[in-house]
Amino acid sequence: MLDTTRVQKELVECNRDTAISGVSIDLHDGANLTHLCGSISGPLGTPYEGGTFIIDIQLPSDYPFEPPKMQFITRVWHPNISSQNGAICLDILKDQWSPALTLKTALLSLQALLSAPAPDDPQDAVVAQQYLRDYQKFVGTARHWTDTFAKIATVGIDEKVSKLVEMGFPEELARSVLEAVKGDENAALEKLCSG
Amino acid sequence: MADDEDFPSSSDVEEPEVGDCYLSDHEDDIAENVLQDLEDGRQEDCNWSVTSVITKESLLAAQKEDLRKIMELLALSEQHARTLLIHYRWDVERIFELLEEKGKDRLFSEAGLTMSENKVIVLSSYSDPFTCSICFEDVSPVAITEMDCGHCYCNNCWTGYFIVKINDGQSRRIRCMTPRCNAVCDEAVVRSLVNARHPDIADRFERFLLESYIEDNNKVKWCPSVPHCGNAIRVLGDIYCEVECTCGMQFCFNCLSEAHSPCSCIMWEQWTKKCHDESETVNWITVNTKPCPKCHKLVEKNGGCNLVACICGQAFCWLCGGATGRDHTWSTITGHSCGRFKEDQTKLIECARRDLYRYMHYHNRYKAHTDSLKQESNLKETIQGKIVISENKESRIKDYSWVNNGLNRLFRSRRVLSYSYPFAFYMFGDELFKDEMTSQERDLKQNLFEDQQQQLESNVEKLSMFLEKDFQDFSDEDVMENMKHVINLSSVIDRLCKQMYQCIENDLLYPLQRATHNIAPYKSKGPEKASELSVCWVSNQARSTKTTKMDVLPNHISAVNASGTTLSAKRTRQFHAASSSDESGSSRKLSKNESIGSAPLFDLNMPAEVIDKS
Ligand SMILES: [Zn+2]
Ligand SMILES: [Zn+2]
Ligand SMILES: [Zn+2]
Ligand SMILES: [Zn+2]
Ligand SMILES: [Zn+2]
Ligand SMILES: [Zn+2]
Ligand SMILES: [Zn+2]
Repeated sequence: MLDTTRVQKELVECNRDTAISGVSIDLHDGANLTHLCGSISGPLGTPYEGGTFIIDIQLPSDYPFEPPKMQFITRVWHPNISSQNGAICLDILKDQWSPALTLKTALLSLQALLSAPAPDDPQDAVVAQQYLRDYQKFVGTARHWTDTFAKIATVGIDEKVSKLVEMGFPEELARSVLEAVKGDENAALEKLCSG
Repeated sequence: MADDEDFPSSSDVEEPEVGDCYLSDHEDDIAENVLQDLEDGRQEDCNWSVTSVITKESLLAAQKEDLRKIMELLALSEQHARTLLIHYRWDVERIFELLEEKGKDRLFSEAGLTMSENKVIVLSSYSDPFTCSICFEDVSPVAITEMDCGHCYCNNCWTGYFIVKINDGQSRRIRCMTPRCNAVCDEAVVRSLVNARHPDIADRFERFLLESYIEDNNKVKWCPSVPHCGNAIRVLGDIYCEVECTCGMQFCFNCLSEAHSPCSCIMWEQWTKKCHDESETVNWITVNTKPCPKCHKLVEKNGGCNLVACICGQAFCWLCGGATGRDHTWSTITGHSCGRFKEDQTKLIECARRDLYRYMHYHNRYKAHTDSLKQESNLKETIQGKIVISENKESRIKDYSWVNNGLNRLFRSRRVLSYSYPFAFYMFGDELFKDEMTSQERDLKQNLFEDQQQQLESNVEKLSMFLEKDFQDFSDEDVMENMKHVINLSSVIDRLCKQMYQCIENDLLYPLQRATHNIAPYKSKGPEKASELSVCWVSNQARSTKTTKMDVLPNHISAVNASGTTLSAKRTRQFHAASSSDESGSSRKLSKNESIGSAPLFDLNMPAEVIDKS
């Protein structure tokens, strides 16, 4: 079954320098180590700058000998990521996976992919075509999507915190949990209830 | 009974000296002529691809043969030679070519072969404890393994990785765990590490490596018999050939379906598909028939007129299906005004009709010969009965081998004849060669071909007729007469078949500009019987590993049939024989001598149905 020792070590190692790397991994639900939740910050100087992208991570039982399954939960406009379902076209998540790679290196590769799309090997043909034919329009759409889907709603966060406080949770806890789940009210509630 | 009108009129036939009675030396002459013909045929055989059967016993031997060549010429270890051969699909000649072209280094690196020549295994050079960068655990340096490429991980991780790869069916090319490292892992390491944790998976690994010789090899294929006989066939030379496995299965080596020459594989594939779906017929019926508005019977349109009449007497308009009166001009029908009464669809209908008739023409003839073949093979038993009666009756004539030889010739030529119809269907149709010929060229070629086909056809029918005669009731003289016809017709037919193949190859297919169609060459005796692979290498090590390795073969390989057992017994003998210098004959040579010695004039080329039964 899944080598939990390695995964646990990976989590600690990855979250040690989140501020510098811009990537982090959290448990998705409770103690289940096979289902994780990654997050990467949009690289500077790209239309994804300022966004935080959440990635669903499923670990097969043979991990790390089989690649992790990763998929964008945050909607993103990118030639190698499906604009419909977040599926990713990246070689290291397929046949170029190596057990010596880690979840962190995979997330960093995704971050690099955001900086350097490979439109010749597209996951989303529509986006890839726009990227090749009308780059300015592509940048516009990608930025708009980042603003719409990938920005933590900092404006509304106090409102959400107070709502959770009204439900009976301590304010400090409510705020930290909300931040951890990037402002997703439902996810925060789930986490608060399960924890 | 001797009616000379039935005698083949082809100019190729040498009229035998016909006397009032046949003396025994005449008989010998005839037999000798046939033998001579056969010898000629045999010499031609030398140009054909040599095929051999690889049984589960000889699989390892076949593989070792190639491994040894590579090991010796490139001074490689066995596992490195195997990695190289797997990458280049067991094509030894190709490897030698590439060695010239690319040089050793590129040849090796492209195959994932890393030769760290100055590699010094000093495990102590690793820190104690060593931190494995896969599991992040600290392990003792005795529990780690370094691959040829120099990358090192703990044994536990290597093992887990190998098992996943073997279960994924990737045994033949397990790469190093380091990202982007192209090196193929040392099979000896894989074997020993996996065996320590999961001996059954190690067995599977072994089997995959062994079967790679068949799976990753263009010139070796599993026999397509069902249930599988356990054999594979190897050809040296052209892969467009027809072979017969020792289990009796005859097949086209290239596409693995039944032997189908003179059709090319593409033609045969399309033909079987066409025969399967009756879309053509269905299409024709929908285009050409309409239900009568009164009795609902399907009515076929007759000619170009769109006013049709049903046998019930009802007239109706073809275009709208509505009932009408019977009077009409070219553009109107009395009492009817749908406005569609024009000959717009006529062309379409004519096309569909023509295509269908064309297909039916060829299919009917193809079917007729296939059916005859079936009936004639059923006759085989009856005819054996006749032979027994004849041999036991009070007569000077004791040898009736001409009957079986004639029968085999009949079966062989029937097959050729029946497959020549789908061939002609595609050769002279638009399906495959639409723009390859002008219509004049096409007509010319079609005439040339059909002329030969018809000659062959009439002679085959004659042969069939002579073989069906009740010769067991004949006088000696009439038996001789019948025999003469059979033998002469057989040789005429063989020659006609040969000519037809030559015509196909040289006059029909060769001039094609775009399409390349390869047909298996004609062989008088039918698909080449693959001889058993000879084992010419012997080493103690090989012999000792042989038994252990064979145990790990998969079910479908280890299911040896009865003949397989005798084969293996025979092989063991050869195995030892080859090591002693006095008896150097390979099994191929042996079996050839045997077949000449027991003198069946024609080799087995019975239809598959007959073989299936026995
Ligand atoms: Zn390890
Ligand atoms: Zn390596
Ligand atoms: Zn077979
Ligand atoms: Zn074929
Ligand atoms: Zn009717
Ligand atoms: Zn009419
Ligand atoms: Zn009408």
